[in-house]
Amino acid sequence: YFRNELAVLQALSSTVQRDPTASHYRFQDDPYLTPRTASEFKLFSLSQESGRNAAKYIINTYPNFFLKDYAEPHIPCLMPESLQPKVTEVCEAGLRELIHLRKVRSAVDMYDRLLQAGTVVSLELTNNLLDLICFYGDQDPVQGDQAEPEKTAEGEVVQDPAPRRKEGRFRKSDSLHRTWRKDNNAERIFHLMPERNERSYGALIRGMVKYGAHSKAFDLYTDMQNNRMAADVHAFNALIAAAPEVRQKYSEKWDLIAEMLKQMNKLGVRPTLLTFNTVLKSLLRCGPLSRALVLQVLGEMKALGIEPSLATYYHILVAFYRQGEWGFIPKNKYSLGMVPLCIHLYLHTPARWEPGRSVLIVLLCLQCCSLKDLGLAYRVHSLLNVGDNWKLLGNPSREGFYYGSLFNLVCMMENIGVVLQWYRDLVPSLFYPNSHTMRDLLQALDADNRLDLIPEIWKDVKQLGLATVSGDLAEEVLALMARDEHSPEIQESFANCALAVKAVYGHGEQSQATLDFTASALCNMATILLAAGRTDQAWEILQLFKANNRVPSEKLLDEFLNSAKSGSNSEQAVTLVQMSSSFSLPATARLAQRVEQEFDLSEEQKKALQDVEATILSDAARLSAQLVHELRRQLQVAVLDAVGGVREQFERIHVVGRELGGRRHLLRLEKKHRLQAVARLVDHGDAARQFADAIEAGAQRGLAVDTALQRLFGQRRGERLCKLVLATAVSDGLDGAR
Amino acid sequence: MKSQNKSTTHIKMAVSFGGAGLILANHAVAHMSRTLCAVPRARAIHSTAVCCKHQAARIRVGKGDKPVTYEEAHPPHHIAHRKGWLSQHTSNLDRETGAAERTVEDIFIRRFIFGTFHGLLANELVIKRRGNMLVVCALFTQKIPAYKLYFLIGYTETLLSYFYKCPVKMEVQTVKDKVVYKYL
Repeated sequence: YFRNELAVLQALSSTVQRDPTASHYRFQDDPYLTPRTASEFKLFSLSQESGRNAAKYIINTYPNFFLKDYAEPHIPCLMPESLQPKVTEVCEAGLRELIHLRKVRSAVDMYDRLLQAGTVVSLELTNNLLDLICFYGDQDPVQGDQAEPEKTAEGEVVQDPAPRRKEGRFRKSDSLHRTWRKDNNAERIFHLMPERNERSYGALIRGMVKYGAHSKAFDLYTDMQNNRMAADVHAFNALIAAAPEVRQKYSEKWDLIAEMLKQMNKLGVRPTLLTFNTVLKSLLRCGPLSRALVLQVLGEMKALGIEPSLATYYHILVAFYRQGEWGFIPKNKYSLGMVPLCIHLYLHTPARWEPGRSVLIVLLCLQCCSLKDLGLAYRVHSLLNVGDNWKLLGNPSREGFYYGSLFNLVCMMENIGVVLQWYRDLVPSLFYPNSHTMRDLLQALDADNRLDLIPEIWKDVKQLGLATVSGDLAEEVLALMARDEHSPEIQESFANCALAVKAVYGHGEQSQATLDFTASALCNMATILLAAGRTDQAWEILQLFKANNRVPSEKLLDEFLNSAKSGSNSEQAVTLVQMSSSFSLPATARLAQRVEQEFDLSEEQKKALQDVEATILSDAARLSAQLVHELRRQLQVAVLDAVGGVREQFERIHVVGRELGGRRHLLRLEKKHRLQAVARLVDHGDAARQFADAIEAGAQRGLAVDTALQRLFGQRRGERLCKLVLATAVSDGLDGAR
Repeated sequence: MKSQNKSTTHIKMAVSFGGAGLILANHAVAHMSRTLCAVPRARAIHSTAVCCKHQAARIRVGKGDKPVTYEEAHPPHHIAHRKGWLSQHTSNLDRETGAAERTVEDIFIRRFIFGTFHGLLANELVIKRRGNMLVVCALFTQKIPAYKLYFLIGYTETLLSYFYKCPVKMEVQTVKDKVVYKYL
């Protein structure tokens, strides 16, 4: 006495909510078999589906094992499919069967044979045949593996099947790339027909429009009009869809569409929802006219009492928004009101599902994101629970996109409690977030000062497989943890988390991608471990710096020194200073000083410190020698070409000299360099006095001034200089001076 | 209720078939020889003494190196005490028919799954019939990656559905290795 057989089941199902801790219904309920990332989700569902296809292949190849019928009443969908026609002789019933089995070529063959045999094929059957050919574009519909040998056997295939062979699943898209060939079976049969009625014309028009022969369709339409036949609503729909293709200017396109509509009206053909949707779709090709006219079309629909469906709203929205990179860009100032309007209108109509409109929900949600309107987003989300709307989300990638943008909006606008509630609800049962989403979540945590939840989030990140994708997430997690001071328990949990993050870097398992340590990551790790009081592990991290060629920051070394001080460990302090010097950090001197002052050192430690200082100096010297060498090169180049800037260059040498003054073993180099430069300056006729100074200085140091003297004698400068030179030469005992 | 235990011994049938046959034959022969003792002994069958012994679904104690699961370790008189039933259907209730057909289906399903999921079964299958559905509950080891397991699950479900003309669902659990109860 149930009204509906499913009433009980429906009542039961209404008591059960979605379980946010379970994975999707199609998977088994086992931890090993639950997908953890989006790629696993896809892989598992595809492999299950391919298992089903394998079984179907076996069932259809060996149907004799599956014919025994246990079921009472008979279940036709559980019987093997027989795709071979049973009727073999040439007759109308055979043709009917072939049409039913959708075998286009064999049907055309059979029809030709029937005609040759002289039988008159009825109009209706011919119309059915025309429908079949026009729908499938005069080629056999692709059916999994079966079509492959057929396609390669005939040479008439439009495009190369080889690249498509791997995508067994996606072969249906081939039909969209077929084009209407000139010597078509449909046209041939059409011309062979003794009498044609509107249905034949209609079938041919629709086939032409579907496969791209738009102008031909219009020609046929005028043919029809000449024969005083009235096209039906489907043919008109096809013509309206084809209208933008046969005219160039926007206004002409719209004129043609309007013309079609007027003719429909004259003939008394009542437009349907599909008509209006086609009008809207064609309007989108009409450029700026669309925005003005779209709302008028909507008005017309209301006037006729046709309820707009989701596709209508989709077209309206697309008219006003253009797809940008990260969202949708409104085309003009009226666009912003469109989304609330559409949602409002939609909510006041009963929900109607239309296939292929999954983008609408995504679109709506993105609108709400760019509008930053949370209330609207919630309303869109509630739409999903109405009736069959969940199917609108489309394939899992689109679903992920939708939930990602929704969650993004929630993270931005709501407080942390609500965010976490959404997070637990959505992840991972409904969608698998990507690193962008996780970063949003971390920012939300930061904004609301709930950094103590970071270790849990990191666990999720690791499980989602996002940790090794790019180093950003790991670094951000570490930076957030290292930034502020926290209470001891939180520091403890942070330290554990930091060790977990460390495991992600470096050498993981063979199959996983590994990240390289970066300086900031290592610094943050060490800081966190020090703050939690785990000095041994922190010291291990210091070793890692050297091993991975990364330089620690000075702040880090200061912190290490502080911790060594609190532990009164002078050995560590000295090691620190040695390490810092090995990295040639500029702070080494300061550190060494600090260590000397704050710690009591034993003899060998003091000696070690002095060694360090010596190496500092030699390091500095080495560095400055490199610097001088570099300067010399630059100066030589500069002096050689720049005449005007001579004085500055000389000043520069002075400056350099003063800076390096005091380093004995450098002076030699420096003076020589200076003298050479000065000699060249002298060639330019300048700076005599400085030259004298230079010589004096050089003489005091006992350097050879050969080149300079030679130059001087060549130039014959002032007397004082000569005297000076002679004195120098005598003191040096140079022969060349004479 | 006893039928499912015969199915549990199908794996061991090959091994113990000879012995069982011999003893069964002996039992039958002994019975015959008692009834035929009136016939003059022209040509008698020589036989050994009967050993009245149960040996259904039991593993005899050995050296202690053979791992044995809980299911295997308990002999059939522990059913309903320490063990459950491996095949659950209503044909054995009063005035219900079809017990034999169900049993044959069960045997086929067990062999089919044993072969399809080769080397992966950790324990006996449990087959339940709910409404018009056939639910096969299996315990697999984690020897193959999960996506391969899903392929086999999808394949089995579809093939068995088409074969028995009823929805067949698999409820799968996985375990690292076979769970050993004791060593006999």
